[in-house]
Amino acid sequence: MPPTPWVCRTCLLRIGKPALRQFFRFQSTSSTPESIPPALLSRARKIADEHKELTQKLANGFDTRAAKILGEYSPIVNALKEWDKANEVSRIRDPAVALSVPYLNTRAEGHIKSLTELTSLIHDHTTDPELLALASDDLGLTRTLLANASQRLTTSVVPVHPFAHLPCLIEIRPGAGGSEAAIFAGDLLRMYQAFCNRNNFRSTLLKYENADGTSEAGVPLSEAVLEIDSENAYGVFRCEAGVHRVQRVPATESKGRTHTSAASVLVLPSLQESALGEEDFENPESDYYVDPKEVRVEIMRARGAGGQHVNTTDSAVRLTHIPTNTVVSIQDSRSQPKNKEKAWRLLRSRLAQARREKREEEAVAMRRSVVGVAKMGRGDKVRTYNWNQQRVTDHRSGTTVHDLDDVMEGGETLDRVMESVRSWLMERDVEALIAEEEADEKKK
Amino acid sequence: MPRLSNGLLRHAYTINPLLAPLLRSCRDLTSAQNELRWLREHVKLTQTSLNKSHGSLLRRFVCERASGKPLQYILGTEYFGDLEIQCRPGVLIPRQDTAASVTHLVHLLRRAEGLPSELRVLDLCTGTGCIPLLFRHQFEKARREDVRLRLLGVDVSEKAVRLAHHNLKCVFQEHGYRDSKAVIEFMMGDVLIDPCGDQTFDPPSFKAVMDFLRKPQFWNILISNPPYISPSAYWKTTTRSVRGFEPKLALVPPAREEKPGTEQGDTFYPRLLEIAYDVEAEIVLFEVADLDQALRVARMARDIKIFDGIEIWRDQPDQNDEDDPSPHCEFKVTGQGNGRSVLCWRGRGSKWLGKGGAKHITSDRSPIRNAFFATYKF
Ligand SMILES: C[S@@+](CC[C@H](N)C(=O)[O-])C[C@H]1O[C@@H](n2cnc3c(N)ncnc32)[C@H](O)[C@@H]1O
Repeated sequence: MPPTPWVCRTCLLRIGKPALRQFFRFQSTSSTPESIPPALLSRARKIADEHKELTQKLANGFDTRAAKILGEYSPIVNALKEWDKANEVSRIRDPAVALSVPYLNTRAEGHIKSLTELTSLIHDHTTDPELLALASDDLGLTRTLLANASQRLTTSVVPVHPFAHLPCLIEIRPGAGGSEAAIFAGDLLRMYQAFCNRNNFRSTLLKYENADGTSEAGVPLSEAVLEIDSENAYGVFRCEAGVHRVQRVPATESKGRTHTSAASVLVLPSLQESALGEEDFENPESDYYVDPKEVRVEIMRARGAGGQHVNTTDSAVRLTHIPTNTVVSIQDSRSQPKNKEKAWRLLRSRLAQARREKREEEAVAMRRSVVGVAKMGRGDKVRTYNWNQQRVTDHRSGTTVHDLDDVMEGGETLDRVMESVRSWLMERDVEALIAEEEADEKKK
Repeated sequence: MPRLSNGLLRHAYTINPLLAPLLRSCRDLTSAQNELRWLREHVKLTQTSLNKSHGSLLRRFVCERASGKPLQYILGTEYFGDLEIQCRPGVLIPRQDTAASVTHLVHLLRRAEGLPSELRVLDLCTGTGCIPLLFRHQFEKARREDVRLRLLGVDVSEKAVRLAHHNLKCVFQEHGYRDSKAVIEFMMGDVLIDPCGDQTFDPPSFKAVMDFLRKPQFWNILISNPPYISPSAYWKTTTRSVRGFEPKLALVPPAREEKPGTEQGDTFYPRLLEIAYDVEAEIVLFEVADLDQALRVARMARDIKIFDGIEIWRDQPDQNDEDDPSPHCEFKVTGQGNGRSVLCWRGRGSKWLGKGGAKHITSDRSPIRNAFFATYKF
């Protein structure tokens, strides 16, 4: 063990306590491209310490295992060094520091404060013009330096989700709350479509079912699958999975009472052949493998005689994965082969996700016995959209924003909420890593 | 036809008033909902050239559909496999079942070894031209450099041949087939007229046209989805929309008074088999109405003794065989659904289809064969 006390582990052990939660929340909400979650930073420091120890060990004689670990650690150590340097620069170049304004900051939070300070200097009318020019000059440079360093440090420490690079499918279904829930499900769909448009993600409706075939607002949605055909889409939208709750007065409510309803969002990796190697589909070990023999294909056959006797327009296709009883049915297109192809895509995605979740659950069960990290399953309420108060609160990151309209229009406010959740997720990932390592150490 | 329940109609009406009339033709709510969606999309696409409002155009389409007019004639197209085929009143709408058989046949051939450098496919009674077009489309996916396709579609109806040419253009525009060397042609010709008989008919017999236009004499594959519905089945089994809006010429073969005993629905098959014999087809695929007709056609094919193998395909030949094969069957029946087509092969055709063990039967006319054709003489 490294001689320095490992701050974050103690944090983790007390994670359930309210005061600490607050701290984590604050960190997450203030998340900017330059900032780094504390858990991640301490993990990086721990690794750097170990790296130092190992280097010393190696100096005294060769050890293959140590050499190998050293090789794995060095990108992290380098990234940390770079980050520390950038952090240092931001403080030294901080005009406030230059002018010897005394203030306290810890190393971990330093960069955030100095940036904040820079910003407030710029916005402060009393700041003298010379200092103002200096400050705004520095702000840009400091930001890029730090942002790059943080990015590198983060990616070197946080395990990348195995699906993160893939395009994704977003499934939206009404939950509790009757037709109001179905209307809200439609609102969510339009929110994501607008978000995609604004951010240049290519999105298409893979499946869209509502009562009468329109896609206008206010029509209840029974199920929709939106395909986002851009690289890394899974990594971007993963944070959206869960139950989204709405509190508002439904259009149909005559007495003006506020109702609470919900819609559920599932995010699946999209497994197009272009995004994956052929071998992934044919290798039975892979998450993406589906044995065609285990899938029952049902095509809506014309009732009765078929052939020339009827000219039906039925083109629905239903696939059933027999071992897991996963059923997918698609009837959007008039073309049966197109429906079939879409159905296969959706089935593959669902199965891959289910397999992945199962493995994650096993890992979580193990972790929970160590630290009690809360599990975020698909049944958990993740976000509330409150119309009366015009606010949106994410229950994981604790972020609340007040521009509800902008969120529903897929605007930048939604970006902010999603970003807060992503960094929350990242912290959970790091914690999980740490917990796993602890468990390993205990076993030894 | 069973009456729609009032409850269902009322339910449909509350979801959207337009769904209730659509139910008259669609019979179930899900199909009505799908059709309403497709009609709406169609209105959106065609709106620009029309000065009518969205709503009234949609209502007009819904009215037409409720009267039984096929959706495909209203929208102007139908999907046949991956292909969007143009449809016009007067020409039969392509069926999914046909696409399934053709797709399966091409699937069997795609990796076949020993295919000729020019693979010739003849489609008799081609209608919209959908079969040759889908054959090429599916075959091109295999990207075989060693085989060039030559496809010919023949139909008695001028409307059909015109539409087939139009489809050839549309499909090409949509898909391009950049490196394809395939040749597709369509021509008018009557499959039923006896080539040796009186030639004053208009259009002339298929054989006469082939000779006149110097088309190849031999064809590797013969496909046909001929009219096969008997007059009684026409009234009993076809739906209102088929009877009321699709051409009877495409569905019911002409009566043959001199042979009252044989099924009128079977009229085309002996003649098609004779053509298969003349062009020395190595693979033959005929669509049929049901398992009974499939058996009759398979027996006819067996009786001329030129084929090495014969089997019957159901609607979805690519699916696992139905659990309960019909017990009385002397032919192999594959896939799921109604009996839908008869596949025959011989010589090299056996190898192409991966049927193996080709028996070699002499190719000159045996007395039995002559007797067979004599029975079905026109
Ligand atoms: C059942 S439709 C099949 C059309 C197309 N092959 C398909 O699968 O959709 C039968 C076609 O045969 C044509 N036909 C009818 N009598 C014919 C004849 N004596 N010779 C050639 N074609 C004929 C009709 O015009 C019609 O287009």
